[in-house]
Amino acid sequence: MRHSSILVVLLGLSLSGCVTSRVEDARENVTGLNDGESVVIMAKSYHQGNETESDYLSCIEKALGSGAKGIRVVPRQKFVDQLFPWFEPRTAPADTKGLPGLMTRPGVADAVKDMGVRYIVWLDGDTERVAEGGSLSCAAGPGGGGCFGFAWWQNDADYEAAVWDLDGNESAGTVSADVSGTSFLPALVIPIPLIARTQTRACKGLAQQLRAFIVQ
Amino acid sequence: MIDKLRFVSLAGCAAILMAGCGSTVIMEMPTIPEPRMQKIPVDVAVRIPAEFQNFVHVEEVLGKDTWTIDLGRSNAVFFTDLFSHMFEAVVILGPDDDPRDYQFDALIEPQIDGFEFSTPSQSQSEAFAVWIRYRMSVFDSVGNRASSWTVNAYGKSQKEGLGGGDSLKRAAVLAMRDAAALIIMQMERVTNIRDLANGPLDPASQDPTLMQAGAEQDDEQPASVIGIFAIGGIDDAAQ
Repeated sequence: MRHSSILVVLLGLSLSGCVTSRVEDARENVTGLNDGESVVIMAKSYHQGNETESDYLSCIEKALGSGAKGIRVVPRQKFVDQLFPWFEPRTAPADTKGLPGLMTRPGVADAVKDMGVRYIVWLDGDTERVAEGGSLSCAAGPGGGGCFGFAWWQNDADYEAAVWDLDGNESAGTVSADVSGTSFLPALVIPIPLIARTQTRACKGLAQQLRAFIVQ
Repeated sequence: MIDKLRFVSLAGCAAILMAGCGSTVIMEMPTIPEPRMQKIPVDVAVRIPAEFQNFVHVEEVLGKDTWTIDLGRSNAVFFTDLFSHMFEAVVILGPDDDPRDYQFDALIEPQIDGFEFSTPSQSQSEAFAVWIRYRMSVFDSVGNRASSWTVNAYGKSQKEGLGGGDSLKRAAVLAMRDAAALIIMQMERVTNIRDLANGPLDPASQDPTLMQAGAEQDDEQPASVIGIFAIGGIDDAAQ
């Protein structure tokens, strides 16, 4: 009895929804990271219609900085505060053409140098629910309760990271992740969630590719 | 005794139900980083009106909660810090201070003309958004109005947690930072405040089209308010 319970728990943990992913990059210039150099992860401005989730940004920051091959990541709020007001949502440069002018502003180049920031990674995109279906109903009474039915939903995570090299004030290229995941929730008295961790997969995939792209 | 218990439990239920119908957001003191800019060589006085110092916005979202957003002293502290970073010398005047008792080249009076917000249920999105419309009135050292500049600021923050109060707070802080960024980037160009270091304006030579792109002139404000300090202060006359 005890063994079968453990088996059920392990089976439940091992089950998850279906996820398909595609991660690719487009290089424009040679990259590399020297000792003491770091990157900063920023979200493209919401003034440009971007809706990248803050937890996704944090996930990328953490994934890039962790592990034996982790690279130095400057916290984005520190970067934005140190360069106030030039990286606020309204004032941040929209493309690399504005970088040379920005670097001539009082204290900007020095602040970037002090923080050791070599690359700015601009994230764009979000995770959206694109389809859902099925039905599930639950009821409870004095004798107990339960659920019956089947529900499913599909999330798409589309993210693009534009990498700017502050060494030459130029674009180094882009890395993109396109992940689609379908979750299922069958219920026969007890609901068994089979969750596709779409955003997490998009985070890990993009971070891995970004690290390889930057470090080469 | 039973009646008393019944009353207490009913009052408790009523309090819980009423609490569920309203959300109060009280702003903490936001800090503003020191901007990367050269200070403007003008001695300014910043007059903080009472309503700016204690701004509270109450709004009922149709069919939903009533939101109370208490900006409290956050705006006053934020703008005091901002102007201290922007100008060579800054003196802060309270609502009851008489500007004639102080020496300055220009007097700045910030006001809130409008405050709006949207919740995720209204915008059909996952974010709270805040719009704040500030008015920056600039006077010369004798009380002539040099400029009345409207600054439209916007902040947006994704909903996190159950209530959304923290997200709304963050959106408001982002709107305040947006205003600060606009003021740093455009104030000198739009208001010509640097010119006031050379002395007060000549009322006869004032240009009614002082405002430039991105700024709005307040038509209700007189271009020149001679003797404004003598009739009870800028705050009264600007209403």
